[in-house]
Amino acid sequence: MSNFELAIWSFPVLLLLVFLRAPIALAMIGVGAAGTYLVIGTPMMTLNQLKTLTYGTFSNYSFSIIPLFLLMGQFATLSGMSASLFRAAESFLGHRRGGVAMSAVGACAGFGAICGSSLATAATMGQVALPELRRYGYPGSLATGALAAGGTLGILIPPSVILVIYAILAEQNIEKLFVAALVPGLLAALGYILTISIWVRVSPNSAAVRDRVPWAERLVALGQVWPVILIFVVVVGGIYAGIFTPTEAAAVGAAGTGIAALASGEMTWARLQEAILSTASSSAMIFLIILGAGMYNNFLSLTQLPQTASVWVGDQGFSPWFVLTIVLLMYLLFGCVMDSLSMVLLTVPIIFPIMLVLDFGMSPDDFGLWFGILVLIVVEVGLITPPVGMNLFVINSMAKSTPIGHTYRGALPFVVTDIVRVAILASFPAITLWLVWLIDSFGR
Amino acid sequence: MYGELRRFAEIIAQVLALAGGAILIVLVVLNCVSIVGRAFVPLDIGIGPIRGIYDMTEIGMAAAIFAFLPWAQLRDAHARVDLFQKAMPVKFNLSLDLLFSVAMAFIAVIGTWRLYLGMQDKLSYGETTLIAQIPVWQGYAAGLFGATGFVLVSLFCILRASRRLVGLED
Repeated sequence: MSNFELAIWSFPVLLLLVFLRAPIALAMIGVGAAGTYLVIGTPMMTLNQLKTLTYGTFSNYSFSIIPLFLLMGQFATLSGMSASLFRAAESFLGHRRGGVAMSAVGACAGFGAICGSSLATAATMGQVALPELRRYGYPGSLATGALAAGGTLGILIPPSVILVIYAILAEQNIEKLFVAALVPGLLAALGYILTISIWVRVSPNSAAVRDRVPWAERLVALGQVWPVILIFVVVVGGIYAGIFTPTEAAAVGAAGTGIAALASGEMTWARLQEAILSTASSSAMIFLIILGAGMYNNFLSLTQLPQTASVWVGDQGFSPWFVLTIVLLMYLLFGCVMDSLSMVLLTVPIIFPIMLVLDFGMSPDDFGLWFGILVLIVVEVGLITPPVGMNLFVINSMAKSTPIGHTYRGALPFVVTDIVRVAILASFPAITLWLVWLIDSFGR
Repeated sequence: MYGELRRFAEIIAQVLALAGGAILIVLVVLNCVSIVGRAFVPLDIGIGPIRGIYDMTEIGMAAAIFAFLPWAQLRDAHARVDLFQKAMPVKFNLSLDLLFSVAMAFIAVIGTWRLYLGMQDKLSYGETTLIAQIPVWQGYAAGLFGATGFVLVSLFCILRASRRLVGLED
């Protein structure tokens, strides 16, 4: 078997292992090591690499942003800011039809600005918003669907753990990626709110309406969320202004949400331990996958697969837009069954060089940002598509009276919005890029 | 006997994870202090960023991540795809779980052994970090705590998976 064939065959083997419920990191480490052995004929190279590879991966300065962002998100869930965000959003939107669900989405967007994880956002906002939604008579499908979709804003709106990983793999600028994610993230929130508005008009009586809140009270409620705004501006603004590195920004963010959690009185010793343990298991899981992806990609580069594949795709004369569509569809499909992080780690090192060969009529830098945002959105859709949508499970487990089937159905309209948004952003790259261009033109 | 082993594994995993968390919090504080210090540089009053803060962050982070591994292993926190779990016989799934537990323990043992050799290499080269001049082997040594805990806990997980297979309680 030639090296190239080996590389091709490694995909089905990897997928088989993954579908047999092997931990994804384990499957990648195993296939990577076995493949390298088959190419070189000795395990010594892998063994020698392992002397420094594990430590090198775990101590990588760029990666150290990940545990810090996770800790920041954990502290944010203890800060009570989810409740004040929801109250503020409700005072502005609550009197509209479907307004309470819209407020939940709006609050998710706000929370996403200080939390880089979808599951944490969905779980935290679910705790605050689900009882309210029930009180105002929202059907379980709409309530859980909207919250599951709103949870994805945790990652669509910067800071975002997935974007950090993409930035490192595709060698893109994290600062600019965060800026590029901002407008599509807000569009996502807007899209979800529109979906709710259409839903309650198609099936009227599906929700009661709150009384209109006077402006004075609205402003007071808005005033309560200042820590969120402050932390977001300092973290994302500070990175972009070059005041600190992304890792330092994450440390500042963790300190900010940590102080907010202390001030709220929610942070007991037991809660702090929980926050740490939860950060610990997510970080360990992510770093083990990064390690596995590194080993697997080392094997693939030994076989020259990424180069061969990109040359091949370039030679075929495919339309770039055709390839892009196929790639995005593939992500959507895999996202239904695979976890978003593993998918990004596994595919970006192979797909990105191929995509770079294609000419989309923009500079490589712009392309890297735009493609990153598109990938971010399509992998996040996987969180709210059955059968394996983690956000659906998280929210459904909190809404005991709603069967999972209702949650699946409730999420579908939001999935449709997501797909429409991807199509729009793919067709008009400027929507994603204009803010980056604008800030660049100030010449920081 | 099993009960004691389980408690032992839980203590190792939890103590290491909390220690890793403590390191993380220390890094948060150090980075903030360093940023504040850097803000004073233009005043030229002898206050500046912490020298070698990047090196410290790297070493601390590696130690923390290694220390987090046992906890993730004990709690089955590894990402996996549960799509076909329900379609397959229970015994089949449990057998696979045992197999994967063995594989994970194997990787933990190999990884820790190589980390130890890596530490010896760094020790004999006398390699230090770029700015703070911290000997690199010390970072490896800090990682070995977590890695050793990972080996112990993943060995325990083999036992746990075998018990699940024969229908004994966790």
